[in-house]
Amino acid sequence: MTMTNPPDDMLDDLFAQARNLAPVPDDALIARVLADAARPAPVLRPQPSVLAQMRAMIGGWPALGSLAAATVAGIWIGIAPPPVVVDYAAGLFGETVSLGLSAEEFMIAGELSDG
Amino acid sequence: MPLARSQMTAVSDPYAHASDEDLLLAHASGDPRAAGALTLRVLPRVLAQALRMLANRAEAEDVAQDTMLRLWRIAPDWRRGEAQVSTWLYRVTANLCTDRLRKRRHVAIDEVAEPLDATPSVAAQMQTRARLRALSDALAQLPERQAQAVALRHLEGLSNPEIAQIMDISVASVESLTARGKRALSAIMAGRKAELGYDDDEPA
Repeated sequence: MTMTNPPDDMLDDLFAQARNLAPVPDDALIARVLADAARPAPVLRPQPSVLAQMRAMIGGWPALGSLAAATVAGIWIGIAPPPVVVDYAAGLFGETVSLGLSAEEFMIAGELSDG
Repeated sequence: MPLARSQMTAVSDPYAHASDEDLLLAHASGDPRAAGALTLRVLPRVLAQALRMLANRAEAEDVAQDTMLRLWRIAPDWRRGEAQVSTWLYRVTANLCTDRLRKRRHVAIDEVAEPLDATPSVAAQMQTRARLRALSDALAQLPERQAQAVALRHLEGLSNPEIAQIMDISVASVESLTARGKRALSAIMAGRKAELGYDDDEPA
């Protein structure tokens, strides 16, 4: 007349066997752990902003300066083309080409070419 | 062969009276020998906890290394007196083990035994290993918090208040988790009794 539940006897025996495990860390494991300890922790830098990432991609502030200068020059050439550009464009397209800059002008141009 | 260990035994003496926390903080502030002393002190217990839950030496070693890596990482931010290093280690090891057990659920269940040493007690060894693996596989089928509570209670032999601290829950919750977990384990293991050599009246 046993009062214990047989599966629980088994469980208790298994628990006891597990508790008896006393593994000794070998030298290889200790070496791995100490190598991790000696390695400096990776510094978590805040994620740079999208603008900063684009700036870095382009090449930093000096490159951005040149890019801005080139952009301004391009726009200026568009607005007030020096005669040599007008002549060149006219030679290329057979007529004088002019482009407006405002949104309305773009839309009008689009409607005209559609129609 | 035991170069690393003998070096560490040599360096562990100056720290004989230092707490785990002292060693961790010394490591964080750049003492190159503190990590060795702390490793020597806590790694065996971390490895044992992982091996008892996973019943696989290679996996247990990976978990032990990962736990220690997390300890080194947290060292610079460790605040004195806020938590015990041992509590923290129990928690992290238990979490990493249940992560592993969860993945095991989706793997073929019968990749059981690794190659065994050819010793006279091979049969006994094989049976012990199969039993512990079966226990680990059964733990894998429990909800994770139950598995952790049962393992801390019955595989580590910790008290309910200690487990409550490790798992950051109330003692009542620990009691409920361990009771439900043990009942579920019992049900799972009941079906494997004969296979594991428990079909006699007396446990082997």
